[in-house]
Order: sequence, then structure tokens, then C-alpha cells
Amino acid sequence: MIGENLTTSNPILSAKTINRTFGGLVAVNNVSFTVNKNEIFGLIGPNGAGKTTLFNMITGLIEPSGGQLFYQGEEISFLRPHQIAKAGIARTFQNIRLFGELSALENVTIARHIHTKSGFIRGILGLPPAPSEENRTKQKALELLDLVGLSDRAFQKARNFPYGDQRRLEIARALALEPQVLLLDEPAAGMNPSEKNQLSEFIREIRSQFNLTIILIEHHVPLVMGLCDRIAVLNFGKLIALGDPAQVRTDPAVIEAYLGSE
Amino acid sequence: MNGFLSTYGFLIVSMVMGALLGLSLYLPLMTGQLSLASPGFYALGGYIAAILSTQVFKVSDGLYPIGLVLLEMSIAGVVSGVLGVLVGIPALRLRGIYLAIATIAFVEVLRVLSLNLDITGGAVGIFGIPQPFLTPIEYLWIAIPLLLVTMVLLYRLERIRLGRAFTAIREDELAAGAMGIDPTHYKVLAFTLGAILAGVVGAVSAHFLNTWNARQGTFDASIVYLTSVLIGGTRTFVGPVLGGMVFTALPEVLRAIADTAGLPLWLAQFLRDGRLIIFGVLIVLGTIFFPQGLVTPDLFKRQKNRKSHS
Repeated sequence: MIGENLTTSNPILSAKTINRTFGGLVAVNNVSFTVNKNEIFGLIGPNGAGKTTLFNMITGLIEPSGGQLFYQGEEISFLRPHQIAKAGIARTFQNIRLFGELSALENVTIARHIHTKSGFIRGILGLPPAPSEENRTKQKALELLDLVGLSDRAFQKARNFPYGDQRRLEIARALALEPQVLLLDEPAAGMNPSEKNQLSEFIREIRSQFNLTIILIEHHVPLVMGLCDRIAVLNFGKLIALGDPAQVRTDPAVIEAYLGSE
Repeated sequence: MNGFLSTYGFLIVSMVMGALLGLSLYLPLMTGQLSLASPGFYALGGYIAAILSTQVFKVSDGLYPIGLVLLEMSIAGVVSGVLGVLVGIPALRLRGIYLAIATIAFVEVLRVLSLNLDITGGAVGIFGIPQPFLTPIEYLWIAIPLLLVTMVLLYRLERIRLGRAFTAIREDELAAGAMGIDPTHYKVLAFTLGAILAGVVGAVSAHFLNTWNARQGTFDASIVYLTSVLIGGTRTFVGPVLGGMVFTALPEVLRAIADTAGLPLWLAQFLRDGRLIIFGVLIVLGTIFFPQGLVTPDLFKRQKNRKSHS
């Protein structure tokens, strides 16, 4: 099977013959792959290939129908979303799921939840360490907004942001979780060419700054080819190719999936 | 002033109670859960106070000690809290309208139980609940501090980690989960806090109303408090407080208007007897034109901006 024979040096996340069916439809069909630590791993394929379904299984939104998912050696196949987040896997969403009525700053502070711990009594009464924790949370959130270039609009409602800024805000929110693995679902969608170039640069930057492993779904092929260390190609739920950009680009199965056979 | 207080004392205390019950509905709503269970816990709290004060403590001479009322309130809060967790864990698997229906069912179960149990006095209920005060208005000594404490608590809650988790779940439960927030945990917590508050208010109300029976905390009451939250505002605790007060007072205000001389007979009649129609129309218009209610957080922000610009 493709991908399994690949020697992987430092695996952080792996899927073993993972499956997902919706009624009679097989959305993800016996997919196996391993993502290495610090890698930028691309996931491409035509619409309906099962990419987002795979993301949803990794982040616990839906359960696999079969197979297993491992993260840092532990099985995570049936953990719930908040447990996955706590374990160190953060994500953005294809159809942007910001807290639209809340400010950019609030969106990011919410995501500091797992790194803070003051509860009901201390929080309400403002007893130590709640106030200093609250200050640190705000500080950290502002730093992250600054990182994505939104600190000047920290108090504006998220839903009033332009599309590209909403995508950046979602990344800032995901980074607030201080994840090991960051899953980006079509981060460049709706961005113009110059924004796309900046995004590539930005993704590389955050990888080195936060020592991240990044898995991204993206339709814009030049961006994926230029950015990713390795690329997995899905078609009709099956993994049809896995390798570095040069390998994938010339793979006959990939060309057939994208262009159709003669 | 004395005349005013003796005439309107009952109404004023009722308004404060209405505000508190509005807040007990607002708490689960902070996590986006439309629960109508508050009147059930309110009824439960009332029965606890009524039974304790008439059958357990039995203070015969003079005024009933306020300390015992506070003790009853605490017991009612604890019992409501425990029941809140027990009901909340299964009920909060449901969402939206299904949760609303399940909580209505819970209120009905409690009502039918109280109608049929001996300890709750059956259909007659429990009467002659002892009074800690001489006049109704003095109940403000309990009601106002309770309201203030609850408001300060909610004001703080909206500004801390816990409140942010509530808000995140209300805005987008799925995204909240992806941010490491356990939706079930916080939904049950918010529901339970609402239950505790309703139970505590019920305990005071039993003394205040002197009798307690199965007509307290029915589905009708759910609708009245729902109105006060929906029209008052669902995004800040100020909304339910104002809504609860206004909608508790509204029937009396309408009655007063109906009594003014020179009104056509049909209009006076309508104001007196048609108030449920007016309530209904207000709910419909309010939800269409003010989906977040009349008092919204933006309202405060706009005020702040205006001040800083001038």
C-alpha cells in the first residue's frame, strides 16, 4: 500500500487503514499515512475526495468507522474534540468558524482556555492567581493578534473582518492553544495572489517559531507544491499518492485524478 | 411614602423576584441552551421552604427568624443544584427546541408530583407559611441583596475564563470544542447555576406568598419568564433583570390604565383581560425586530464610544 513502505524518522501523527462511511458512501477508504514532526504535510485532491472528513476524524468531530489514529504514540481515534485540542492538535475550518459576534481579542482569549485554570470562585472574586492569569491571557492574545497583523483591530467584531483577515484570525486563535500539530483547512481560500504568497511565508514562519507540525488542505496547487515537504493525494476517499512535491507532480495516478484519463 | 409602599410593596418585591427568575433562565442561555426548567426548580425551592417552615422548624410565637429563611434558601439551593446536575446531564444532550420540550416535561412532572404527594399538601398545597416580616415590602431586605449579589456575580462571570467558555459554546459549540472547551461540562454547570438560583428564589417566594401549591412554577410561568428574557435581552444580564421587572409589573400597569376614567368600555375591557394577548404580540414582535432583545451589549459600547468622542 502506498505510504506504508515509507521510512519515517520521527512520526508525530499517523493514520492506520482509517475508514469513514456515511450510509453507503465511503468518504475515506483505508487511508494510512504518517506525518513527521516539524513537517509541512499537504493534503490535496479533487472536491469530495475526503480531505475534510479526514481532518474531522483527526480532530474528533466525527468518529472513524474503522482503523486507528495515533498521536505521539497514543491512540486518539475516539477522543472528543476538546480532548484532542488539549492533547495538542489545533485546527482551522474550511468554512471559517470564528465567534462572529465577539471581538478578535475575545476570539483568541477564548482559545487560551486549556492553558489557564482559574475556576468559578477565584474567577468571580478575583482572587489570586486569577487576575494575573487574566492579564497574561490578554497579553498573550494581543501578541498573537500582532503576529497575524490584526492587533490594531483587536476590539472589532470578528464577523466584520474581510475574508482574508478572518482566516488569519482563525490561525491566531488556533495558535493560542499552543499546539504541536496545526491543521489548516484551505487557509488560502478567498485570498488574492499576493496574500497567498504572504501566507506561504507566514506558515513557514510559524512552523519555525512555534516548532509546529503543519498539515494543510489546499486547492491552490502552486502554493502546496512550493510549501509542503510531503504531499498526500486523495481521490474518492483513497490515498492515491504520497511523496515529495516532485514525486507527486509526475505521478500518473495523480495526473489522471486531476485531468482525467485519455 | 408609607401609603405608596403599602399599596405597591407586594408588586415591587414581585418585580425583584421576576428579575431573579429572568436571570435563572439567562444562565443556561449563556451557553445557548434554551431551558424552561427554572419554574420547576422555583416550585421545588418553594416546597422545601414551605415544608421546612411549617413542619420541621415550627416557630410558633412572633415573627419567623430570618436566619431560618436563609437556611431554607441554602437547602433549597443545594437540593436544586443536585437535581440540576441529575436532570442536566441527560437533558443537555438535546438541543434547541428539544431541550425546551424536555425541560417543560420536567416542570410538568414536578407539578403532577406535587399535586399527588401528601407531603406537598396535594391540590390544596401548603398554607399559613410563617412570616419573617410584618409587611410585604420588607421582603426587599432579602430580595434586593440576592439580586445585587446575583448581578455582581454575572457581571464578573461575563469577564472571566468561565464566562468566556460559556459564550464560546453559545456562539459556536463545535468551534468551542475545537478550542479545548468541554461543551457538556459547561452546559451542565450553567444549567445547574440557573437551577440553584431558581430554587433559592422559590424558597423566599414561599414565605412571601404565604401559600404554596401546584399552581406555582407552571408552564405559564415559564412563558412569562421566557418573555422577559427574550424581550429584555439574551446577551447581557441587564436584559433579563429589566425584562423580569417590566413583565412582572406590566399586568398591573395595564390594569391601572384600564381604570382611568373616560376610556371606551371595550378598550378598558381589553387592557384588563387581554394582557395575555398583549404578551403574545410582544413576544412575536420582539423576536422579529429585536432578535437579541432590547438591551444588547452593543448598546453599552455605543454609549461608551459616544462619551469618549464628545
